[in-house]
Amino acid sequence: MKRNYDGCAICNSTWGNVWAEVEGERMFFCCDLCVVQFRALIDRIERETGWNRVDSIEVAGDRRGRTCRVSSSGESARFRFAFTPEGQLLRFAREESRAP
Amino acid sequence: MTKCPACLVGFSVADFPSLAQHLVERADDSDPDHVRWLNQNLTRKKSDASALIPGLEQVFSLGTGSLARWVKVRFIAKFFGKTPHPFVEALQHPSRATLLGYVFEHQHFLRQWVRSCAFIMARTDRPEVVQYELDNLTTEYGGYGPDRPSHYELLLRMGESLGVDRSTVLATPPLESTRRSIEQWNEMATGERWVSVLTAMHGLELIAHRNLTEEGASVHYFDPAILSGSEITPAAQAFLREGYEADVGHSDEALALADRFANELSVVEEVQSVFLRSIDLFDDYLIGRLERAGQFG
Repeated sequence: MKRNYDGCAICNSTWGNVWAEVEGERMFFCCDLCVVQFRALIDRIERETGWNRVDSIEVAGDRRGRTCRVSSSGESARFRFAFTPEGQLLRFAREESRAP
Repeated sequence: MTKCPACLVGFSVADFPSLAQHLVERADDSDPDHVRWLNQNLTRKKSDASALIPGLEQVFSLGTGSLARWVKVRFIAKFFGKTPHPFVEALQHPSRATLLGYVFEHQHFLRQWVRSCAFIMARTDRPEVVQYELDNLTTEYGGYGPDRPSHYELLLRMGESLGVDRSTVLATPPLESTRRSIEQWNEMATGERWVSVLTAMHGLELIAHRNLTEEGASVHYFDPAILSGSEITPAAQAFLREGYEADVGHSDEALALADRFANELSVVEEVQSVFLRSIDLFDDYLIGRLERAGQFG
């Protein structure tokens, strides 16, 4: 999965040392909570879009609220989301695609 | 003593090198609370402990101001900054769901509040602190008779006005984020100095302080316009008005006591750390209210 972050897949932090498999790929996370968040996010995106896998994800924002642009097999979508302190999705909504 | 603001383990006063080393070690263990604190307060970029020391000194610096001012600045930055806390945004013009989220989780908060304040009273030897806590507990929990019900009673009445019986509210256990925050506030109350607990708990009353916009807050806790008109129920207005009117005095008076006694007891840094932990717990707890609100639509 192509990502825009070099650090943790959710928050881009380079602290911590958690490696977890998501969609068959070993990824770096700063803590277990971010693993839970990322898995919850990918699951929800796939349910929402009907995709079998996410090819790329670009995350922006911070803990108060994030956005992501995702793509799979030539299709793309944008979502807004935020998490509970336990890492589950608190908010999740599709955003209309906008010109860059 | 200086304490770790993520776990409250103690170090010597101003021993920021040891605190920095501790934070790095716990982050290397991928501990979520320590990683979170570093991410939100110092840097997301993994660094040597020595590189964190200037940032820690800055976080704890009172500058030319007081402890009370420092508490307000930190609180405003966390909850009323450019992007206010999501619960504060939701409460500007609250839906029924938002107010019910408030009711269901806050009853648990207020029950812990009594315990925390009782520990402050049990441990302090200062009569003015005992008097302050007695007044606060009566306002928040005991009430002054039928004409002036407590904040707790007003909360339950708000729930009833929104169609939820108080027996349902009282029988509903807290969500995990609320439960965890309350558990840690209880540990704080039983394990930390009374002046730290006083600052950590009553500093939270800044949330409804109606004059914070004059000190840099981007918004109020809620749009004061909802206190009139029919946007929310009269019982919800009564509940929110009570905090709006009481919490200026509650928080300012407590912070004046905190300032005075933290300096007198030479525990300012320790108090700062406990306060920083408390506002992280409060942040999570407010998200818990939103999570509960999600169950009502």
